[in-house]
Amino acid sequence: MKDEKEIRDDEIRIIGNDTPPPQPPVRRLWGWIAFGLATVVLVIVLVLAIWNVREVAQPDAETYFEPQPAPAATEVRAPQQLGQAVDSLADGFTEVRDTTINDIPLRIYIPHNAEMTLHVGRLDKRDTTIVYAAQAADIRRDNRKIVGAFVLRGEPLAWGLSKKGYCAVIDGRITVGVAANSPLFEEATERGGYFFRQYALVDNGRLVENEPKNKSIRRSLCDRGGEIMMIETLSAESFHDFAQALVDLGADHAIYLVGSTSYGWAVDGEGAQHEFGVENSHLPRYTSYIVWRRK
Amino acid sequence: MTKQLIISTSNDLVRIAPDRIVYISSDGNYSTLVQADGEMRMLSFQLGQIEKMIASQLGSDGNSFIRIGKSLIINRSYIYYINVPKQKLVLSDVTTFSHTVTASREALKQLKELLEKEAK
Repeated sequence: MKDEKEIRDDEIRIIGNDTPPPQPPVRRLWGWIAFGLATVVLVIVLVLAIWNVREVAQPDAETYFEPQPAPAATEVRAPQQLGQAVDSLADGFTEVRDTTINDIPLRIYIPHNAEMTLHVGRLDKRDTTIVYAAQAADIRRDNRKIVGAFVLRGEPLAWGLSKKGYCAVIDGRITVGVAANSPLFEEATERGGYFFRQYALVDNGRLVENEPKNKSIRRSLCDRGGEIMMIETLSAESFHDFAQALVDLGADHAIYLVGSTSYGWAVDGEGAQHEFGVENSHLPRYTSYIVWRRK
Repeated sequence: MTKQLIISTSNDLVRIAPDRIVYISSDGNYSTLVQADGEMRMLSFQLGQIEKMIASQLGSDGNSFIRIGKSLIINRSYIYYINVPKQKLVLSDVTTFSHTVTASREALKQLKELLEKEAK
């Protein structure tokens, strides 16, 4: 079978969109007459409608009901930023904040003046440019390789769709989302970017259910009104309760990061290192991390 | 009776009403058809070939389908939400299913403009 004509990724086309054949002049004339008549009828209907409305709008002197207040206009507000305002020339660091949502203690990590990349392999704890690091993609038990599509500095290391959540970092722009089929994977390979997949937790402000039902320390990468942050539970929680807490915190999009005892750390504004998880020197070579470095 | 789309190979045949198709995505030499009942069906045709089948079998009824870039054919009846900067398109009947797919910003911008134009 011959292929349909080529289409680029930035184009759309309506299928079977054959242009109707031109109408003969006589039919076109009847069309204009019908249009003219319809316009006249419409004007008459409009005039009558306005007349009626004016009659109905007359105040009723007999009324004894209290006037109802007009409904307040709905105001849509963007969520207030969680992180503090930081001078763009200040040294990069991670703001660490604790809070409780639905009785779940949460620690929120908000990097400032830092940029995110991915890293595969062991991390150097002495690297002073790092202000936050946490394990990113899961590792398969059988072949010890990365689960789901993964791109490291433009190089695809893994393919596949086992989890619908994704994070792409392309030209410094971070996108957290949920999609089975994302062109950002290709874009990351073409533009030297980064891409990985994980469980989706929140999609457009809505909770995403996941299969594992056990309780554990949970971690996530969230986009809340454009502000990117990492959030972890300080107690063992189910996926559902964790995702609900993220929704209630106002996350627009969130994907999971490796939880439980997986190791990582954050460096706060005072230069103090906050470690989490358990350090393990026998991790598979394809262990991956999200790493925020000072700009 | 509504026209049905028939996709036939030497071994099997799929016959489906167009309004039961939510979208079809490309998977290299194969395509994945996502149905309104949540089922997904792998088809051994490239997306361009499916596009041609829709156009030839459904004629003007095929207008309910829109090809978006190289990887997607969507049923426009189920377009629920478009976010151009986030490259996000949600296809939903707002009752039983909701599928999120992604496409290029430019394609989504064109789609948004098309729908705006049609609403006027």
